[in-house]
Amino acid sequence: MAISLSINGEVKEVDADPQTPLLWVLRDYLGMTGTKFGCGIAQCGACTVHIDGAAVRSCQYPLESAAGSEITTIEGLSPDSTHPLQKYWVEMNVPQCGYCQSGMLMAAAALLQEIPEPTDEDIEQYVNNICRCGTYTRVRAAIHKAAADMKA
Amino acid sequence: MNEIAKVTRRKFLVSSLALGGAMVVGTQALAATVDGAPWDKANAAGSAEFTPWLTINPDGTVIVRATAVDIGNGTLTQLAAYVYEELSPVWENIKPEYASTNRDFLENNVYSTPGGALAYFSGRSTGPARMDTYMQVAASARERFKAAAAARWSVPAGEVTVKDGVVSHAGSGNSAQLGELIAEAAQIQLEQEPAIKDRSEWTFLGKKAPFKVQLPKIVNGSLIYGIDVREPGMVYAALRQSPVMGGKLKSVDKDAVMSMPGVLAVVTVDPGENVPTDLKPPFPFGVSTAQHAVAVIAEHYWQARTALDALPIEWDDGPGAQWKTTEQMNEAATAAIQQPGDKVEASTGDVEAMFAEAGEDNIIEADYLTPYCEQAPLEPLNGTALVTEDRVDFWHPSQHSQMAYMVAADETGMPPEKVFFHQTFVGGGFGRRVFSDDARMVVAVAKKFPGRPVQVIWSREEATRQGRYRPLMAGKLKASLGADGLPTALLGRMAGGPGFFAVGMADTALPNILKNTQIESQTVPFHILTGPYRGPGYNSNAFFVETFVDECAIKAGIDPMEYRLKLYAQWPDIGWVKTLEEVKAKSGWGETLPKGQGRGVAVANWGMGGKPDEGTTVATVAKVEVSQDGVLKILQLDVAFDTGRIVNEDAVRTELEGGTMFGLNMSLNEGLNIKDGRIVEGNFDEYPIIRMADLPPQINVHFGGLSDNPRFFEIGEPPTGVVGPAVGNAIFQATGKRIRTMPFRLHDLSWS
Repeated sequence: MAISLSINGEVKEVDADPQTPLLWVLRDYLGMTGTKFGCGIAQCGACTVHIDGAAVRSCQYPLESAAGSEITTIEGLSPDSTHPLQKYWVEMNVPQCGYCQSGMLMAAAALLQEIPEPTDEDIEQYVNNICRCGTYTRVRAAIHKAAADMKA
Repeated sequence: MNEIAKVTRRKFLVSSLALGGAMVVGTQALAATVDGAPWDKANAAGSAEFTPWLTINPDGTVIVRATAVDIGNGTLTQLAAYVYEELSPVWENIKPEYASTNRDFLENNVYSTPGGALAYFSGRSTGPARMDTYMQVAASARERFKAAAAARWSVPAGEVTVKDGVVSHAGSGNSAQLGELIAEAAQIQLEQEPAIKDRSEWTFLGKKAPFKVQLPKIVNGSLIYGIDVREPGMVYAALRQSPVMGGKLKSVDKDAVMSMPGVLAVVTVDPGENVPTDLKPPFPFGVSTAQHAVAVIAEHYWQARTALDALPIEWDDGPGAQWKTTEQMNEAATAAIQQPGDKVEASTGDVEAMFAEAGEDNIIEADYLTPYCEQAPLEPLNGTALVTEDRVDFWHPSQHSQMAYMVAADETGMPPEKVFFHQTFVGGGFGRRVFSDDARMVVAVAKKFPGRPVQVIWSREEATRQGRYRPLMAGKLKASLGADGLPTALLGRMAGGPGFFAVGMADTALPNILKNTQIESQTVPFHILTGPYRGPGYNSNAFFVETFVDECAIKAGIDPMEYRLKLYAQWPDIGWVKTLEEVKAKSGWGETLPKGQGRGVAVANWGMGGKPDEGTTVATVAKVEVSQDGVLKILQLDVAFDTGRIVNEDAVRTELEGGTMFGLNMSLNEGLNIKDGRIVEGNFDEYPIIRMADLPPQINVHFGGLSDNPRFFEIGEPPTGVVGPAVGNAIFQATGKRIRTMPFRLHDLSWS
């Protein structure tokens, strides 16, 4: 039986096992590949999406729980890549391989929603995603820049 | 013949006029671009391919073909920068694409030099030789545009300029876009190809650091990595290989899962079924050998994965199971270095005579050990292949597209001209995707389910337990110290499983300074497979050598920084002393620290091959704090380097930061354990990776160590070797405890 999801403001019907992790629903069933698979056990954060505004690791979030919620993925973070985080991510050359960065951005965006002027400690706590390339110092700097912009 | 000569003499002559006046040369190109996913791009109608490296389209876009895979290090952007420096198109109009491995094969290695340093569709392809190639083709194209414009406007070519995509002549007021002049430019024959700019004439290289060309696609999730490939009719496979490497499949009860939702097939991979071809791959095919494996193929990945977990499989573990514990393997490697090695890596003078002469009191000896480590790129291993009767298509996040292409041809037996390799973007490499065992496995699974594209995805646990690891290595170092405290003779021994790397012990500065040196190695018959991991060999040997040098300094009663400055002043490459002086000045070396804190230093070179003024030298000072109950905190890291010269400061800084963090994690955290022949750790809960909260408050990259020697070299690998010994040496200063094995987190660092 199809389950109805609201993703980036659009309603999508998915005919999958209700236990299927939201990550694989997005990637395989809906072809939305911006959300990444990294570990499958909610450790690395590459699969981070927003569910009703909160950052959630979608690899451990079953499809049936997502029904009735507002889901935002990296594809919907902004309509045209103009979110201040996206802007500074590019300008400050933050990503290296880039694979973890969808999740980083979604975690950072949720943080700024909740704490508009985060401290380094706030960032460490909310954006504890794994980046194997070691982009952390730039991620942190770009979040501070975006926060300053959004306040202005 | 060097590559420039080849380009100018031969490649420019292949241009020919195609139908309708459009310039098209060569065969259809297959390449990825930063546009996202169109990997079957031919030259556009009306475009001019000036050489296989460079095509210019009527709309002014400039296609630059890259052999080097961009694994996040910015190779695509660097190639664009080389072209921009000479041709000056609109920057945003430069579109790097991956060069076609198929075309390289068909056109007699048009992009590679078989067996030479540039054989790689892998690393080093943005190095000095390739820089000259790209600048030459861009300069040659520019002169053709100038000549074409001059002819059109009847003005002297020397007065025509090209700037940001506009060709113009100031005197007559004429101007045209690059794209408008293609047809004429492509027909120009120059009497002589232009010389490329001297470094002193650069206006872009070394001065500007554009953001990486793929970033706009990364930040909205539209960049296509291997795992993001979506082909019509595609199915998914979940993979399980023999948990003990070298083991065999005993039985699999396929019927148990065939009725599960979405399941299409259960297939097996037996390396014995492969019929070897006589193709000549960049690396011997042996490094890509598949393990015995079972894969469940289903309509969706989660269905395949769920069915695989339910699938009854029995394995015959084979001889690897004799290695019951990590300790057993550590002991075997450590035992091996107590005996003379099978292989002599270097031998000068008479080490034993020097040891006898020096006497017991002046001899120092220590054993070291580094464990198996997994590269753990965040994109799990994967690939997508479509095998049909008359062609093979293969989409893959390779770190070596030429190797993966050859492997696909070898595994299927398909003639290489019918194999089409589509390079995707890569979610981290670190060496893991070079040998192309992952490529072979994907194709081996897909060929058992022909006619539909099969995307094979390793789970994180499967990827971690089926690695091609940084080898387990033991090292022994023994030296006699002279009256000035410096070493007079050195014995070095290394031992590890098959495939371990000797780089970094015999070919580093220390044994080449000394007149009495004996370096030996021995292979221990471990079954665990190994492969390149950021700074192969060097990432163990630099730890051994630079911890040992520290121990020598302590025994001699000399400050470890001053000791190294004296020691490495004897090496004719000034970069060693310069980088040490730089970190000494910038780190606050010598300033008094409270109890429980310490500073340590290490210096090493990646790529020197025993010679001065080669490779990249990195010196690192670590400042650490160890609490009395043994909790380690890295307070500050100062990094200086010498690669001669640089062409992109921001890219260099990024790699030095990233490489330092990689080496820090390797040293503090990483180590795989073995139980009954199997790798124990599976996921990041068991194999920790540094996160934001673990960062040292300061990681400072300094540029004052550069020697201005006319070279530049790899920058991502060099920092991995030195951060570990710098931290270990700092821990000694803080606690008096000498760290001789990795990972450091297993050591009790408490003190009183």
